Amino acid sequence: MKRSVLQQVICHVLLIAGLFIVVLPMLYMVSTSLKPNGALYQFPPKFLPSPDEITLENYAYVLGAGKFYINFLNSVFVSVISVVLAALIASALAFVIARFRFPGRRALFMFIVLTMIIPGLTLIVPQYQLAVKLHLINKLSGLIPFYVAWTIPYSTFMIKGFIDGIPKDLDEAIYMDGGSVFTVFTHVAIPLAKPGIASVSIFNFLTCWEEFPWANTVINDNMKRTMPIAISGFFGRHQFTQWGYVFALSVISLLPVLIIFICCQKFFVSGLTTGSVKG
Amino acid sequence: MKYSGKSKAQVVLLLLPGLLVFAVFTLYPIVKLFVMSFLQWDFSHALEHPFAGLSNYMAVLGDKYFRTAFVNSLVYTAVTVPGQMILGFLVALLLNKVSHLKITYRVLYYLPVITSWVVASLIFRYVFNTEGMLNYVLVNVLHLSSANIHWLDTRWGGMWVAMLLGIWKGIGWNMVVFLAALQTVPQDLYEAADMDGAGAWQRLIHVTLPSIRGTILFALVMLTIGGFNVYTSIEMITGGGPAHQTDVILTWMYYKAFSTGEFGYAAALSFIVTIVLAVLASLQFKLMQQKEV
Amino acid sequence: MTGTKKVLAALLTTSIGLAAFTGCGSSTPAQSETTDQVDQSSATSETTASTAETSAAEEPSEEVTINFWHHYSAQSPENDTLTNVLIPEFEKENPGITVNAVSHEWADLHEKILISAQSDTLPDVARLDSAWVPEFEKMGILQPLDETMTDFTDVSDGLLESAMSTARVGDHYYGLALNTNTKILFYNAEAFADAGIEAPKTMDEFVEDAKLLSGTNANGQQVWGYDEPALAGWNLCPFIWSMGGSITNDEQTKATGYINSKETVAAIQMLKDLYDAGAITGWNSGDIPMTDGFGTGRYMMLLEGPWKISEMAGSYPDFNYKTAEVPAGDGGSVSVLGGEDIAMLSDANKEASWKFIKFMTGEFAQEEMAKCGQIPVNKEALESDTVKNADFAPFLEAITTAKSRPTVSCWTDMDSELSVAVSDVMNGNKTAQQAMDDLAAEFDEMLAEE
Repeated sequence: MKRSVLQQVICHVLLIAGLFIVVLPMLYMVSTSLKPNGALYQFPPKFLPSPDEITLENYAYVLGAGKFYINFLNSVFVSVISVVLAALIASALAFVIARFRFPGRRALFMFIVLTMIIPGLTLIVPQYQLAVKLHLINKLSGLIPFYVAWTIPYSTFMIKGFIDGIPKDLDEAIYMDGGSVFTVFTHVAIPLAKPGIASVSIFNFLTCWEEFPWANTVINDNMKRTMPIAISGFFGRHQFTQWGYVFALSVISLLPVLIIFICCQKFFVSGLTTGSVKG
Repeated sequence: MKYSGKSKAQVVLLLLPGLLVFAVFTLYPIVKLFVMSFLQWDFSHALEHPFAGLSNYMAVLGDKYFRTAFVNSLVYTAVTVPGQMILGFLVALLLNKVSHLKITYRVLYYLPVITSWVVASLIFRYVFNTEGMLNYVLVNVLHLSSANIHWLDTRWGGMWVAMLLGIWKGIGWNMVVFLAALQTVPQDLYEAADMDGAGAWQRLIHVTLPSIRGTILFALVMLTIGGFNVYTSIEMITGGGPAHQTDVILTWMYYKAFSTGEFGYAAALSFIVTIVLAVLASLQFKLMQQKEV
Repeated sequence: MTGTKKVLAALLTTSIGLAAFTGCGSSTPAQSETTDQVDQSSATSETTASTAETSAAEEPSEEVTINFWHHYSAQSPENDTLTNVLIPEFEKENPGITVNAVSHEWADLHEKILISAQSDTLPDVARLDSAWVPEFEKMGILQPLDETMTDFTDVSDGLLESAMSTARVGDHYYGLALNTNTKILFYNAEAFADAGIEAPKTMDEFVEDAKLLSGTNANGQQVWGYDEPALAGWNLCPFIWSMGGSITNDEQTKATGYINSKETVAAIQMLKDLYDAGAITGWNSGDIPMTDGFGTGRYMMLLEGPWKISEMAGSYPDFNYKTAEVPAGDGGSVSVLGGEDIAMLSDANKEASWKFIKFMTGEFAQEEMAKCGQIPVNKEALESDTVKNADFAPFLEAITTAKSRPTVSCWTDMDSELSVAVSDVMNGNKTAQQAMDDLAAEFDEMLAEE
């Protein structure tokens, strides 16, 4: 009994020590966002702003004069639509691949696995040419099909893992009652694979929300930029960088993901688990 | 089982959107990439693209900047993948032991994962600045160094910052994955090991690790792919500098394509990388399937 | 019939199902609300866009939007003046024309224009670093304004000839000069007084002073005698030229014997020695940005343009600094000529774009921009009180002896090779002679393809 108490204490001490390193940079970001811009090169540098120094001026600027809420809404728009489309398309693909034999099934699955391997950015040159041909340059909606195309391979792979785990007896029962393929899809596959679809969707949301190189290449107008582009725009490579603004905007961009993550923790863990344990 | 015509039609309908997206947005670009890699496609040949044979491939392979970038990507992967796996696994082991605050720890350790690459890179850039907080602590508080260290200004300094970022950002994901795997290890295996008088280390080597082999390989494959995908952190932290010394494959490819306009070169480079990765990953997949029998 | 119903039912159930879990329980209403708003706003913008298109078709030249790309930094006084003063004024004077101004970082703008040229998504008008004009002209994406616009000479006669020459390639003009500038020496007046020295007049004095003023301050922080934020032509040319070196021959056809001449190599070696002595820095990723380093007393000297004056007034109003001309070497005191041109791109709406270009080079816009440190090229604006009161005199003087960087279409490539080569020298990978010899061979190859 005593030994296990000691063990608990040691584990907590180690975990808190690790946490210190993991969370420190995040705290530094928040504290910097609360300092006035001029105080950033003070000496000695302070980890926390002194109480009389704390200011919301960075937030006020970013949300007010900077009009960065527009970039925030752009990101919400693109991410939500991409995630919903990807979830629909990937579930249907996963369901068919898991349940039916058809010519080319193996080839399709291999293709999906292959596209998971190819680094997304290697296709950026031909995808850019494609976006030009389809008139998708400098359009927010132009980001969506590419985000969907990037996220469905992994989504399909994971959701298929879930559907494989659903007993086929349930399908048979529906067919016996005269149900169609669609009925099985909507009444068996989707409801039972829901945790998988949810976890994949959260993952996809994060991917779309933070996507940088493609949006940076395709979008020109300031008012059409997504959050990551807006944040990086503050960061002048050769001129001065207003770190206060950068981090205020960063904190704001972190909020939705944080909320989703805390709300949907359950799905998150179960999703990663199934995929990884099955391989 | 036999399917009726209607069922077949419905199956096709379900497949169609996915196939369409794949065909247009993935398959076509892959084919196009392959074709482009054999053409002379740059700003001075913006309208017509003469056949170039293997010259793009020769240019890539003979390019010292490409070799630097390739080595950087390899090192990045070789350091960050085991780094984050080991640390993530350790956290998972500890978490598996504690009986309180599990969820709090999990959420906090996961924070870096959900922080976007752009934001995380800027935080690291700020912390590792020559005049930044870290140097202040090292020089003025702990007196570990007599002068500020130029983290971001050399090839390996810059690479180390990017690699530390990669590890920092990956611990949480590995923790969740390994924690789930640890919970599937049958308890009776541990009991049997205890009967044989095995110590904690032996239990880890002989029971825990073999039982989660599948998960280890899964993480290995996913993270190797992720390692070669590194782009944003390098772009934001060093921008490939000084003098392209910290470029990785993808930042170099992007630079060649969009800053110098050598699309043919970039296409050939992409293709080489894709082949290397496909071979690497399929080897890992094979390994995974074999071990899982 | 039943089939269709089932499809609809399936779609409906799926979307409901998806809404349920993407919304995460209690937060569903809030989330879907925001989505709706975005949907609406994007829908409205699409409708406005389409109305604009239809009305344009019905009543030609009524509603036009022109895209104007520039590299005034996003949070600069110049950008504020552009968006809050100039564009509203232009739109008031020209009803029916809307200007969509897009700001990019300097290097990003160059990249974005190259990319957009590939995709036919070029803007109508752009503010270009004059060093890019030959390159873009060669790509065929600039309009020869003297050919397309009948009143071209009326407008160009009102602008400074020296500045207008930067917009000329061959026999035609591919833009109008927008502003001109050059760099002079800025120095920390207090530190110089404390050390009992005057501003350096020669390169030898510059080296001495830079070394003298380097070291550590009262807080134990490192201090540098001189800051150079990059190692490109814009940064190196004043040193190379003032010390009697050059990049190419006068005909701009050959670099061997010029970029690797004794004088050029000596200039690079001088910077390398200063770097080794800890007397200069600035181009490394981890360095303090220029304005902050100067304003907080960490960098003692800079070579900078007129915009630095308003930047310092904004960020470090109490800081005591002075200016002087570029220290002279064997080649005299030679600074680098900067400046921007405003150009019309190939697919532009000609009429509206030309109006905007004329507006931007007109007296009103030039005078407003002069308030933020942009030296006008409009002769009338140059005579205005605003300009006379501005501290432009030392810059206008330096412009008379300043030189342009090579006006060749491969300059951007040469420029990036130059910074790679000099980085190699600074980091000790190559000797200055070796790096410049290698560079000369590369430059010759590039110039041969011109």
